[in-house]
Amino acid sequence: MSLMTDDVINFTSMLRMSYDFLHSGRKFNIKSNRKGKKLISVVFPFSDLVFAAKTIPIFPIRLEKFKVNTYLEALNSASGLFGWKAVSNFLGFIRKFDFLKVFDGIIDDVINSLNYKYNKMYDLGIEEGVSNDFCYGIKALYGMHSSRHNNLDANLNVIIRCSAFNKYYESLKRFSDNLIWLDIPPRNIGNALEICTENVKETISQLEKLTGNSITDNDLRKQFRISNECRELYREIIYEISNSDFYPCNPATFSEILALLSISFQDFNSNAETYLKNFRNLVKEMKERIRKKIGMDVSNRPRILLTPRFGGWEPESHNLIYKMGGRLLYADWEILGALENIDVYAYSDPIEAYAKFLMDITTKGVGCDNTALTDSYIRVARKMDVDGLIFIEVFGCHSISNCYTMLRQKVRNELEIPTTALTFNKIGENIEQVKTRLGAFMEMFN
Amino acid sequence: MVDLEFFLEYYEFLKQEKEKGKKIIAYMSHDNIPEELIDAAGFIPLRLIFSGNDELMDKGADYLPTSTCSFALSTIGLFSVKPNKYRFLDLIDYFIVSNHCVSDICSSEIICKYFDIPRIDFYVPYILSENGLKYYRIELIEFKKKLEEIRGSSISNEDIINSIEKYNRFRRNISKIKYYDISGSDKLELYQKALLYGPKILELRDFNINNGGQIKIKNKKNVILTGCSIFLGDDLIEIIEEGDGNVIFLDTWVGDVYFSQTLEDNWLDQQKENDPFDILTEMFKRNTYTDHVVPNFIDYKIEKIVSIINNLKEKLGISNIGVINHIIKFCDHMSLPREQLKEKLQAKNYFVLNIERDYSRASHGQLSTRIEAFLEMI
Repeated sequence: MSLMTDDVINFTSMLRMSYDFLHSGRKFNIKSNRKGKKLISVVFPFSDLVFAAKTIPIFPIRLEKFKVNTYLEALNSASGLFGWKAVSNFLGFIRKFDFLKVFDGIIDDVINSLNYKYNKMYDLGIEEGVSNDFCYGIKALYGMHSSRHNNLDANLNVIIRCSAFNKYYESLKRFSDNLIWLDIPPRNIGNALEICTENVKETISQLEKLTGNSITDNDLRKQFRISNECRELYREIIYEISNSDFYPCNPATFSEILALLSISFQDFNSNAETYLKNFRNLVKEMKERIRKKIGMDVSNRPRILLTPRFGGWEPESHNLIYKMGGRLLYADWEILGALENIDVYAYSDPIEAYAKFLMDITTKGVGCDNTALTDSYIRVARKMDVDGLIFIEVFGCHSISNCYTMLRQKVRNELEIPTTALTFNKIGENIEQVKTRLGAFMEMFN
Repeated sequence: MVDLEFFLEYYEFLKQEKEKGKKIIAYMSHDNIPEELIDAAGFIPLRLIFSGNDELMDKGADYLPTSTCSFALSTIGLFSVKPNKYRFLDLIDYFIVSNHCVSDICSSEIICKYFDIPRIDFYVPYILSENGLKYYRIELIEFKKKLEEIRGSSISNEDIINSIEKYNRFRRNISKIKYYDISGSDKLELYQKALLYGPKILELRDFNINNGGQIKIKNKKNVILTGCSIFLGDDLIEIIEEGDGNVIFLDTWVGDVYFSQTLEDNWLDQQKENDPFDILTEMFKRNTYTDHVVPNFIDYKIEKIVSIINNLKEKLGISNIGVINHIIKFCDHMSLPREQLKEKLQAKNYFVLNIERDYSRASHGQLSTRIEAFLEMI
């Protein structure tokens, strides 16, 4: 039986988010469902400008058809009649009688199906000529574009410090003539902010040209307010809820929620307003469950931060850590600075505010070098007050996950908590090895 | 391939310069570092263009994962192992951390941090646009400030212009060797030495060695080498020659990509009264063949290879020229577009071989077999 289903069945917001994540993207493969809007692929949490252009951002794996949807679709249909909350309550009720074992696997299926699809895209990326030596993320993303490029109107390419990723962006020319670029200066020196602001303006012009919609300051502010609130809620989960001694669900479910948030945060499931609504409900439901003591006492479980997750990780890790007596947390976007708010004061220039947000990610979060990046890992681990840190060394990653030597030294000197590194190549490939290493790591807390 | 004596000579050269009070500024080699500013400051640029081996890669892997580019790992390994012939590395005063690729950043940073060399940052934009040029200019200004801080006095515009002219002459002179009737390995050796000595090489060596004939190269199976550079100490070009091939043109950074970056004298004369940063920025703008930039690198690359082949046919009367795309394992810039490059060139009926390799001894046999098989096709 799934570790998580018992928890999730009453988690309306979680069910809704899962459904949106898996289902709401696929419908955009049919042009009429886009209602005249353009479909623009995004990666990393950089979808704000696309929303402000009143069009659709999509993290391209969401265009894929996922295997599970039968149950979730049934739930969605039911929710259309009765509402998600009613459906969730009903499921919770019938579960007591154990009639519908079929629901045991819903969330497991969501995650498994997502992982299965990620691996399929990875294989496709290799088939299409990406060298095996590149990281999981690039191979899978290339596969996603290869699979669904016909349905995309454009790609938003935001320059980051990873040279492989920037070359990956260039390689998308094979699939599309519509590459919209956003360059971020590597360092905040001289009038770099002014240059970045100009770059954002240029990107906005390209989006306007593509969509035929003008992007006003108010459009930007409106979108930034929505995404800011999502960021605040996200931080609340990372810093407050994850730090409490009582969780609204078992810790493996909690990790699962963090993973889902992390993946879906890239395109807000293509609908920022609905995403915010679900996010609010999620936090509210979490708090209510904690208040009512529905969930699990986790006070005796060490809190382990696993990072980076977004370039590829073994999703089984949180189940293993749970079984070994710990709780695993993911907080990549916070570490990389993407959960900082964008200034939306009435008299400020929203374009400059967004440029500043991007520059802060580049210079302080991701950092233009590993000294800055490792400082970010340390800053967040300290603020989260975690008991241990697991670092993922993604095979072929030359940017975000290659700094373990430096990080280990800093963790030892500044945090004095146990740390370990896990190598990762492909989902499901090395579970036994992961298990052994995590077992040895968790021994340190006994 | 260069011998031990060369390394000793080079050590003596750097030592003498250092004794004159000049600082040695080292960096992972790439083509967007404004060496003219280093020269104008009265310092010596030291390009790290040294290839690796199993031992150096292993040592580099103490600091970065093994899935890092072999060149970056080996360069870290050089500082860790410090083989005797590389003792000139002890003379380095400062190290430039730059972002030609992310491995450049990470390995340079490690060299500074773990081998106690003060760092100077110099970052280059990825997109060659008007705003990218504006940013490059800011980096130039910061870089100059840092150099001035080190030398304790300001660098005059006149000195910078002089250095720009000096390097321009240097590149133009060296670029002439591309059509010399000498073997690829001889050309490569000249390029490598020129990169290490800089304009000084024109005083040390005679480059008028073209014998005017084309018999030697006409009888060979000629190939253009593109992709990653062949660094000093690497025997790849010898492997090609052992298979009766000849690298007729080095379309790599250690080669024509760097030395073809010349400015016209007339244009330069007109700019003399202007801000020298405008000239350096213009040079960056014209460097469209650098593998650093996006989004048109591959398009420009293909265009250039076609033009090289046409030129070679016209100037030297050589047909059947193959293309070897050299990829150092885990290279971000050359590995990802390799299939696109191959497909597009093959569509134009060119013979193309992608060879991806690291510096391990074990890969030599396989490399040799693949190259021989390819040369037989030409």
